Amino acid sequence: MCRGLTPTAPLPKSPGRARGEQRVIHSQDDALGSAVLAVALHGAMTPGFGSLMQDVLWCFSQVKGTTDTGVTESDIISTVEFNHTGELLATGDKGGRVVIFQREQESKNQPHRRGEYNVYSTFQSHEPEFDYLKSLEIEEKINKIRWLPQQNAAYFLLSTNDKTVKLWKVSERDKRPEGYNLKDEDGRLRDPSMITVLRVPVLRPMDLMVEATPRRVFANAHTYHINSISVNSDYETYMSADDLRINLWNFEITNQSFNIVDIKPANMEELTEVITAAEFHPHHCNTFVYSSSKGTIRLCDMRTAALCDRHAKFFEEPEDPSNRSFFSEIISSISDVKFSHSGRYIMTRDYLTVKVWDLNMENRPIETYQVHDYLRSKLCSLYENDCIFDKFECVWNGSDSVIMTGSYNNFFRMFDRNTKRDVTLEASRENSKPRAILKPRKVCVGGKRRKDEISVDSLDFSKKILHTAWHPSENIIAVAATNNLYIFQDKVN
Amino acid sequence: MLGRGLKRKLSDYEESMAGLSSAFDSSRSLPYPLKRQLVLNMCLTKLQTYKMLVEPNLHRSVLIANTVRQIQEEMRQESSQQPVNICPGIAPASHSYTGMESPGIPLQLPSGVEDISPPTCLVPTGDDQPKFPENTGLKLEDDRQDLKGAECVFGSFEISNSTSYLKDLAIDDIFEDIDTSMYDSDFCCPPLMPPRSPSLATEEPLKTFPSCNSSSANNIQICRTDLSELDHIMEILVGS
Repeated sequence: MCRGLTPTAPLPKSPGRARGEQRVIHSQDDALGSAVLAVALHGAMTPGFGSLMQDVLWCFSQVKGTTDTGVTESDIISTVEFNHTGELLATGDKGGRVVIFQREQESKNQPHRRGEYNVYSTFQSHEPEFDYLKSLEIEEKINKIRWLPQQNAAYFLLSTNDKTVKLWKVSERDKRPEGYNLKDEDGRLRDPSMITVLRVPVLRPMDLMVEATPRRVFANAHTYHINSISVNSDYETYMSADDLRINLWNFEITNQSFNIVDIKPANMEELTEVITAAEFHPHHCNTFVYSSSKGTIRLCDMRTAALCDRHAKFFEEPEDPSNRSFFSEIISSISDVKFSHSGRYIMTRDYLTVKVWDLNMENRPIETYQVHDYLRSKLCSLYENDCIFDKFECVWNGSDSVIMTGSYNNFFRMFDRNTKRDVTLEASRENSKPRAILKPRKVCVGGKRRKDEISVDSLDFSKKILHTAWHPSENIIAVAATNNLYIFQDKVN
Repeated sequence: MLGRGLKRKLSDYEESMAGLSSAFDSSRSLPYPLKRQLVLNMCLTKLQTYKMLVEPNLHRSVLIANTVRQIQEEMRQESSQQPVNICPGIAPASHSYTGMESPGIPLQLPSGVEDISPPTCLVPTGDDQPKFPENTGLKLEDDRQDLKGAECVFGSFEISNSTSYLKDLAIDDIFEDIDTSMYDSDFCCPPLMPPRSPSLATEEPLKTFPSCNSSSANNIQICRTDLSELDHIMEILVGS
């Protein structure tokens, strides 16, 4: 029996029973007089769980993308993001396109088939540009997509490439007006002198059309490459971060932004550190964090000063001298930082580990998880082929109890923070039968390789999972493997 | 800089580098200085490659530059504790030039200690640390350079010495030992002989000058000119 992780969605299996409480049926209470004693499994150990602790089995649900062995560069997925309800799933690719999937309504006829994601809208978000002043090509690759919370019938998202952030409105149209006076059905203008009758246009139903329109373009504010965007909890502002600066924008204003962090030294010769990721606190609209290439995280409060050069908190773990190598600094560079949904923790990803930090403790993380420590002895080769610079992202599940991140060979890893168990799974076409349960994978470090294990030297470093996303409330994950998007769900009993 | 006619095969380089980094990873018997040298070479090569890009990746450049700095600092501390040796011991110094003149030249490490970049193995100055050639191009008054990022990262290396370094030395001293045919520019000379481990004490390098158009008697004259052209060439290289 394949074992996975404890469930995260708060789906009560036995409603009405408090956590940890055993359920005992007393024969004398039972009207039928049955002598069945049911001993409940030990309840969940932490708040927020369902009351039964049960292993989650991850199953294949869908895969999007071609099966061609040759990958077109522009099809490589560069970002994945669920919206706040999980109804929509957006991907951005190297070709500057955004594809949005929508979850279909669950049907009563097929209760075991949870809603599948189908293409909802596709549009070209960014085009390649040329900066004439510097003779530079600006890549159209979508670095990040962030959704705004839904406030009306339309959906809004931010997408960014290296230099420009755009606000897109995605809306549905299922009616159209007919019966204009001044133009006929084809849109051609009618000769006004020929009009003898006035009529009121009426709305008639039409096939559903989903259209995406760029509502705002926030350009020319970044000298260096944008690596992060983050929507503030006030829903009126957002920030964009590049290697050396972070800017604060108001959604309504495109020709101005406030610079809130600037780490560019007066003399570029003295530059030793860059910003690698930034995010707003999920609830406190004045608080944000940014991570650096030196493995540190700074938490800033915008109320203290207009320019947040002085951090309110500084998170750094002292280096472990036993692990010191020439590559120590490179592998300590943080590639992603994410607040927990609760806002109490931050998670960081560096090359070999994922760390969870408590906002109240700056001198070390409270948890450290090894993603692929077997690579520690391969660092020179990984440096030589540039893999050491790969930027892996990390995500929380809805209840902040499980964290997930990607690795090589199309492997991705999940860590249960409560049970301290972890699992390695693989996104591959071979495991892609509908509702097939994913088998845990294992990398064998040395010595005898067991059957089904894969040795470190056989790992395919060109198959890297950098981008993953977790549904905000359910056990549904989206994993981007080069040009394919895999969707996995937990097995519904 | 290689003379005309000698092709450097990129694939060979890549293979040798891959072999070296595997050796680094798997071998516990590689001596530490050698490992350090390998890493330094890789760093410098990468930086050199980035220099050729229109827009180098700032993040990577910073990380690599920091690594180089760290290694150099370590070497600095070590050599400040030891008496300074000429050449073979100062392998690091040689590689700055190697990196400059030909990105990707196969760095045959085990023999790299007796490296083929003689000028740098010479009389050590007070500061005998590996120079960072790219820095000569870091005229940071130029905003455009500023924005390029990568080059500007390396400001802390004292590269400004390198060009004057050569001028200060008596040219005759240099030419007793050194085979500078490597530094001949295109319009001057010849295909190179494959680099030989120079033995500094011998006069041989003069004799091994490849088929120069001029007679061997003129070699010294030619090389004198070469040296002043070396500065010029360096400026072109790093300034480009």
